[in-house]
Amino acid sequence: MKEFKLEDNPKITTGFVTPDNYFEDFSAKFMQNLPLNETPEVKVIPLYKKSSTIISLIAAVFVIALMLPIFNQSPAITTSAEIDQASLENYLSYQTNVSQYDLINSLETEDLENLNETTTTTLEQETIEDLLVDNGNLEHYIME
Amino acid sequence: MQEEEEFIKQLLDSKTQNVAFQKLLSTYQKPLYNHIRNIVLNHDDTDDVLQNTFVKIFQNLKNFKGESKLFSWMYRIAANEAISFLNQKAKKSGISSQIIQDKALDNLRADVYFDGNEIQLKLQQAIATLPEKQQLVFKMKYFEELKYEEISEILGTSVGALKASYHHAVKKIESFLTTD
Repeated sequence: MKEFKLEDNPKITTGFVTPDNYFEDFSAKFMQNLPLNETPEVKVIPLYKKSSTIISLIAAVFVIALMLPIFNQSPAITTSAEIDQASLENYLSYQTNVSQYDLINSLETEDLENLNETTTTTLEQETIEDLLVDNGNLEHYIME
Repeated sequence: MQEEEEFIKQLLDSKTQNVAFQKLLSTYQKPLYNHIRNIVLNHDDTDDVLQNTFVKIFQNLKNFKGESKLFSWMYRIAANEAISFLNQKAKKSGISSQIIQDKALDNLRADVYFDGNEIQLKLQQAIATLPEKQQLVFKMKYFEELKYEEISEILGTSVGALKASYHHAVKKIESFLTTD
């Protein structure tokens, strides 16, 4: 049997063929689809989405408006740590067992001095007179 | 090399990109088509793979660092795309890529885009018996007539190893064609 030699024989081609004008068409088609020099796409916001947002906003406002009376009925919760003077006085007078004697005992010497100072310096003579004229009972207490 | 650098700059510049890519297409579409067709055998599949190859080339041009020549970089992409196409096709069908290749070979006789005679068909059958790498080397050397240096750059194999691989491939093919 004669040995087959590739080099001794004429070149064997692949035998593959392409459709007519394949490369011209390929090139044109490819260039058409290629995103060359493409400007960035502008984001499109559909109108129906916008209207749904508005509708939900209006609904939210309605719900809040309906809830307002419920919020107003609820008792106000005082968060402030400060208690006003009148409430404190009322509490000490009616709600506790603290007697006048206890209050006096709780005062320090320094407090008494401060108290003295304020009464002597801040109260003018005329003010005392006015007070005595307006409250007749006070004179009676002083006499006692 | 300087010309190639200039050409790559044109490809990346939005002002010259259109003309430059057209030039790239007209220069390389035929050799890349042949390279892919030699791997996948069927024209329609080759058309798909060629499109994917040029899309990949276009997308990755900005990452091309010029470490190799542009043509070898594109050949590598084309070969990878063709091989992954065959593997994906095999995976989808649940068969091996060898069976896919055998089927493509069987279909060749009825293929309207195959104009080969008996010896051309026999040669394709002989090539199919070779290991994958040897097939690639043989096709690139014998059909595509690339130089060993060019194949070496594309496949990343030494010229010596390529010569040995081609020599073995030729021997096996000749033996196949003699006995068959």
